[in-house]
Amino acid sequence: MWKDLLDLPRNVWRSIFRNPLPSSDRGRAATSFTNFFLHIQPVRVSKQALRPSYTMGLGLISFFLFVILTVTGVLLMFYYVPSTGMAYDRMLDLRSSVAFGIILRNMHRWAAHAMVAVVFLHMCRVFLTGSYKPPREFNWILGVCLFLLTLLSSFTGYLLPWDQLAFWAITVGTSIAGYAPLVGKELKFLLLGDANVGQEALLRFYVLHVVVLPAVLTIFVAVHFWRIRKDGGLAKPEPAALPPAAAAEPDVAAAAAVPAAEPARRFVIQGLVRGPLVKVGKLEEDTVFSWPNLLIAELVVLLLTIAGLLAVSYFFNAPLEQPVNVMHPPNPAKAPWYFLGLQEQVSYSAFWGGIGVPGIELLLLVLLPFIDRGKQGVGRWFARERVLANSVFLLFVLINVVLIVIGTFFRGANWQFVSPF
Amino acid sequence: MRLALAVLSLVVLIGSGVVVYDQFHSRWEDNQKAYFNQALGLAKTPAERASLEARVPKIEQTIVTGFGEQRIDRCVSCHIAVDDPRFTTEKQPLATHPYSEAMGDVLRNGRWERRHKFTDFGCTTCHDGQGRGLDRADAHGDDSFWPEPMLGYTMQDGWKKEISSHLHGKEYMQANCARCHTAKDFAGTPLVARGRELFFKTGCYGCHRIEEISSGTLGPDLTEVGKERKLDYLWGHIVNPRDYTATSIMPQFKLTDEDRKALVIFLKSRRGSDLTESDTERFRLKSANVTPALPGVSEPGAAAAGPALTPAARGEKLVGDLACMSCHKLGDRDGGISPDLSYEGLMRDQPWLMDHFRSPRSRIPDSNMPAFGLPQADFEAITAYLLTRTTPPAAATPADTFKTLCVRCHGEKGDGKGINYLYLDPAPRDLTRAEFMVSKPQERFIASIRDGVAGTSMPAWGKSLSDEQVKGVLDYVWQTYVKEPRRQLKPRKVPEQNPAPTSAESIGRGEATFMQRCTGCHGRKADGHGPNSMDISPRPRNLRNFAFMQHTPDRRLMESIEYGVEGTAMPSWMDYGLSQSDVGDIVNYIRSLNQTGK
Repeated sequence: MWKDLLDLPRNVWRSIFRNPLPSSDRGRAATSFTNFFLHIQPVRVSKQALRPSYTMGLGLISFFLFVILTVTGVLLMFYYVPSTGMAYDRMLDLRSSVAFGIILRNMHRWAAHAMVAVVFLHMCRVFLTGSYKPPREFNWILGVCLFLLTLLSSFTGYLLPWDQLAFWAITVGTSIAGYAPLVGKELKFLLLGDANVGQEALLRFYVLHVVVLPAVLTIFVAVHFWRIRKDGGLAKPEPAALPPAAAAEPDVAAAAAVPAAEPARRFVIQGLVRGPLVKVGKLEEDTVFSWPNLLIAELVVLLLTIAGLLAVSYFFNAPLEQPVNVMHPPNPAKAPWYFLGLQEQVSYSAFWGGIGVPGIELLLLVLLPFIDRGKQGVGRWFARERVLANSVFLLFVLINVVLIVIGTFFRGANWQFVSPF
Repeated sequence: MRLALAVLSLVVLIGSGVVVYDQFHSRWEDNQKAYFNQALGLAKTPAERASLEARVPKIEQTIVTGFGEQRIDRCVSCHIAVDDPRFTTEKQPLATHPYSEAMGDVLRNGRWERRHKFTDFGCTTCHDGQGRGLDRADAHGDDSFWPEPMLGYTMQDGWKKEISSHLHGKEYMQANCARCHTAKDFAGTPLVARGRELFFKTGCYGCHRIEEISSGTLGPDLTEVGKERKLDYLWGHIVNPRDYTATSIMPQFKLTDEDRKALVIFLKSRRGSDLTESDTERFRLKSANVTPALPGVSEPGAAAAGPALTPAARGEKLVGDLACMSCHKLGDRDGGISPDLSYEGLMRDQPWLMDHFRSPRSRIPDSNMPAFGLPQADFEAITAYLLTRTTPPAAATPADTFKTLCVRCHGEKGDGKGINYLYLDPAPRDLTRAEFMVSKPQERFIASIRDGVAGTSMPAWGKSLSDEQVKGVLDYVWQTYVKEPRRQLKPRKVPEQNPAPTSAESIGRGEATFMQRCTGCHGRKADGHGPNSMDISPRPRNLRNFAFMQHTPDRRLMESIEYGVEGTAMPSWMDYGLSQSDVGDIVNYIRSLNQTGK
């Protein structure tokens, strides 16, 4: 009886964490797949995937930003009221009267902007390392969807402070949606619930922002992560040791069997740890155990994200402009920065700039893995074999960045060209 | 990697510590603690002492519901001693709000009682500022986005130094007093009353509408200007309207800083609604649609005095009362904005003046004179008075004649930049531009001086000056400003009458050519406001100035188009491939625009 009581803490601990802190390879493997939060990670991870210069942690940063956004967002929800009469007052309260209000709002705001940027950079990383090639085509498509969802989440959140900046940015943004052919007007009406941005739009954007989009985003993130595992981890370069002649030698059937063989190997490891299987699969040589190598790397990225965000949020306040005045649009009224490239294009042609060109760009992005079927240059930055694809992609990125820079800094009243200097 | 992890953990820990420390360390708490300590020293009874010792800093707020929209004022969280009479000599933020008999505070049994209790009024009802803020900068409205910085106290970051230096002082709060104390002669708001007076004396009412006060339509409605604009804009815009809107036609009135201050305060008090009336009353007033009466004009006293005066004498009084000379020149009084009326009786006739009063733009289409909503009888009286101004200027040398009559518009240098050139549209001719001057025949200049130029501010001097004098002035202009010998003009082959017959097809063709060739300068409406017009001097002609167009013969139009106008941006369109019949079509098109004019 006494002994049971004395052992109580240890027994509770054991019931939660099946494995003691691992000291053997077998223990390290077991730790990974007996823990709910760790089992999404592989037992062993390739050294290449751990190199900071390879991924720059961009995907992880995006995910951590999303987590931070969820946490700060839920806390902000305790104060926010999606009503045109009260939203702005609540912003003022957050700014000076609510405990931690300003830091919460700043973190949420800057994390939202950062997430748009980081998700985009992550996409660039995946492209430039050719990581969308088979078998990862579908995960690339999921990634494009996630990028769009990030944009939408950020955009719907932009309206909620209900200040001049928010009001007119959303007015401009939804007008761009209105240029879509056939369904444009209806889409805009559906989004706003009214002919103009008003109470209905605020409520709709609120619900989209706090419920619908985060839920969809979470599901997509889950599938995105799951696919990374099922597609064999992060993209690796083709084994350099294998001479090109040998690679060409196996017949078609053998080549098709290769992806199927990869998951099988992992089952082998699990079987080994659990006991019944005796057969030891050959471990890949350039891999290390996830515990603790991957875990530490992930923690570093998490802390780096939090530290950076805290610093920015401490020194820079999220903007809060005048209360909404429907009669006085600012001149120029600008969309959020990530849509300013679109707005700049719209200033040349409403349909082509707002719907046509971005639509084609998006379609190209989605179809990319099915257009570019070359097998070379996977898992390496700026692989020489992919010079054409990379150049075209970078050109598109450059054009869009330049358009955004022009829209942000070089456009003054009446969308006239002005110099910011 | 592990080292990085350790360092980062430390950084995040410290960062979080800083954030937490910041949150639990606010100025308002310090202020309250300082107040408690000082009050403890002043406390007389143990009970008072005990209650003070028990107090801990907390957010103090007043929820104001009685005045307009509900507002929450947390100002007292810092200014915690506002109602504690022992702190009158303290410095802010721990000072007592002053007591003032003028504001209705009463001294009873040695204790002051406030007329405007903070529990009822809060703070921002009178002071403006942002009541919810607990931070000094937030609460006072330092942030340039906040629409209501504290009146007369807070100057926002974006405000120009030379403007904001005028905007300090508690008298600016009269603008908020007037939101409840709406009576014109309320003793507490002398500057609002003065501003209202100036609003009429300087003629603002002629262009601007303010509900229940004035009904001008030429300028923006100022009914809610106090809600929409901050003090710096109001002041700066009165000093120079074109600093804010490059194309504004609002004159720069000559006002002293004191007058500007009164006007700014008056305008700031115009917030669209006053706090004493209910929504129902407001609606009733609005739907009654009263035309506001002008003070000093139609008031009963003026009507009683009316019959005793002849129309001309009454007109003379009206010209003074209505402050016509805040723009015009008459005798030795000169507003420096609008034309000289001293010889009006020699220049205009009764129908012209009456038409012009009723609608200035029926005679001078680009005039910036407002159509004042005066009764017919008043216009007749003023017309009668102006028609008595028939004393021609004393005969003098051409140089002196030019100085007294022409310099006001054409400028001392003859470059068309007299004191009022900015307000005249079309602008006065630049007499120093020799290319233009030598390209036109002498007869045209003589005619312009003698008969005036219709549709513009150039009046007919024929009755004021003899033909000899006119010629003398022209010779003087030539010697002093043109400084080039007159040229024998080559006769040009231009038909007297437009050879193209007027027809719908011809007008259509003319319109097509016009839209292709002419709109860059003359504008798509042919009103002279094309995209290039701002960069061109002299400005392109407004081809919808029907008064001018009526008096311009076909020959001159065709010549200007075919051969261009020397010394201006108008090119010779023959050189650009327009044929005689193309030009005829264009003239037909331009004429068609002026058919329905008037």
